[in-house]
Amino acid sequence: MSNVISASQLTLAYDNGKKEIIKNANFSIRKGEFVFITGPSGSGKSTLLKALYGALKPTGGNLIVGGLDLANITTGKLQELRTHMGIIFQDYKLVNEWTVAKNVILPLMIAGYSVDVQHTQAQRLLKHVKLSEHSDRYPLELSGGEQQRVGVARALAKNPVVILADEPTGNLDDYSSNVIWDLMENACQQLETTVLVVTHKIPTIFSLPYRHFIIESKGVYEVH
Amino acid sequence: MKFIKNHLMFILPLMAILLGIEFYLVFDRTTNSYEKGLKEGYTMFVVSKKPMTLSAFKALNTHIESFEAIKRKDVVSDIVKGISKNNEKAILKALPFFYNVGLDAYVNTVELDKIKADLEANADIERVETFGNSYRSAYKLFAFIKFTLKLFIGFMGIVSLFLIIKQMEIWKYAHKQRMQVMEIFGAPLMLRSGVLFKVAVTDAIVATLITAMIFLYIKFEWAAKSGIDIIVKNKENLFRMSDMGILLGAALVIVIIAVYSVVFSSSGVDE
Repeated sequence: MSNVISASQLTLAYDNGKKEIIKNANFSIRKGEFVFITGPSGSGKSTLLKALYGALKPTGGNLIVGGLDLANITTGKLQELRTHMGIIFQDYKLVNEWTVAKNVILPLMIAGYSVDVQHTQAQRLLKHVKLSEHSDRYPLELSGGEQQRVGVARALAKNPVVILADEPTGNLDDYSSNVIWDLMENACQQLETTVLVVTHKIPTIFSLPYRHFIIESKGVYEVH
Repeated sequence: MKFIKNHLMFILPLMAILLGIEFYLVFDRTTNSYEKGLKEGYTMFVVSKKPMTLSAFKALNTHIESFEAIKRKDVVSDIVKGISKNNEKAILKALPFFYNVGLDAYVNTVELDKIKADLEANADIERVETFGNSYRSAYKLFAFIKFTLKLFIGFMGIVSLFLIIKQMEIWKYAHKQRMQVMEIFGAPLMLRSGVLFKVAVTDAIVATLITAMIFLYIKFEWAAKSGIDIIVKNKENLFRMSDMGILLGAALVIVIIAVYSVVFSSSGVDE
């Protein structure tokens, strides 16, 4: 299968290249794979994720996502690429002045889907994340676990090619965590979505075959 | 209440800028018509050895627009009473030529001195009287009023700009989260800034309408009742419908700059 993500000699840094986080990393991820990236705190897991959705430009090497070189990508192409991604954040990044339903349909709004399609899809997804009864409420009225489930529903809204998740179950209770892992497994299994999850610990309940990368001493290594 | 406060915090400084612009337009039109009056009422007096033509005067200085020859007979009419025709002819022959010379603008005093010098440089011109002292005092008063009003408008504009910058910081705080999330999911700039644009454009239209209404009231109600001669005479200069376009254009330019400043400073992903 073709690579959805590939990195060669990838270097990521802050402060105009002075503070290197990842250096000369090489890895590739194929379509439909489920990948865990682990590593100690501050090792650069979230930095790598930021680079994958184009919020941080590589300072060296190549990072190709969906056939596009993120080191030399135009704003328009990056916007286009992001519409094929579902991104889940540890701090949810929901829009607090929007209802739960409106948060979920954001990717569909951006893609220009009709209001009917947006509404139907929102109801379907909220049912999946077991939040149907909360569609008209606002994020700050929900618990952390519920907010994260909204974030997952939003990430899945447009059947993305890639899901990038940063500590998606970091501070959540078991119930919310299980719902989230189920949804991501289903997306990977049924829709061949590539899922890349940054986490401290791989969940024990996980049933799918997966690949595991570890970030250590600025390098990205596959664990066999 | 919060909704009204949020809008007023942009509408009021924007209105102050628009009032400044409208004051400037009104002042500019009024002073232009006053200046025209001063220009039309002013001529300098030139005495020359030979008869002069308008093109000859214009060749000496381009500000010269018109001239009027003073009949020499009229000048000597009192003197020649009771003297012979021959003597009258001799007096007229000995007399130089007199002209009232008009200018194309209400020039400043430096320019006026230059015109005088240019004329006097011509060997045929014997004397130039610019009535400089009265011209100078009128011009200085006029220039002083013009300067102080421009200074006041400029000051008002600067204070208002600071208030708008303050409001932009509030906008940034209020809209940053939504715009960043939309950016992460690939929303184009127009979609990200859409909400802010709607708010700002609405405020711009409201500010323009209120400013226009204030000036329309001044023009049709207050000016007529004021009894102040200069205002009544210049009533038509107080507000023109074309000003509406200028005000709306200026308000929209300010809005576009303010919104895009907020959008661009809010882009990127916070940790």
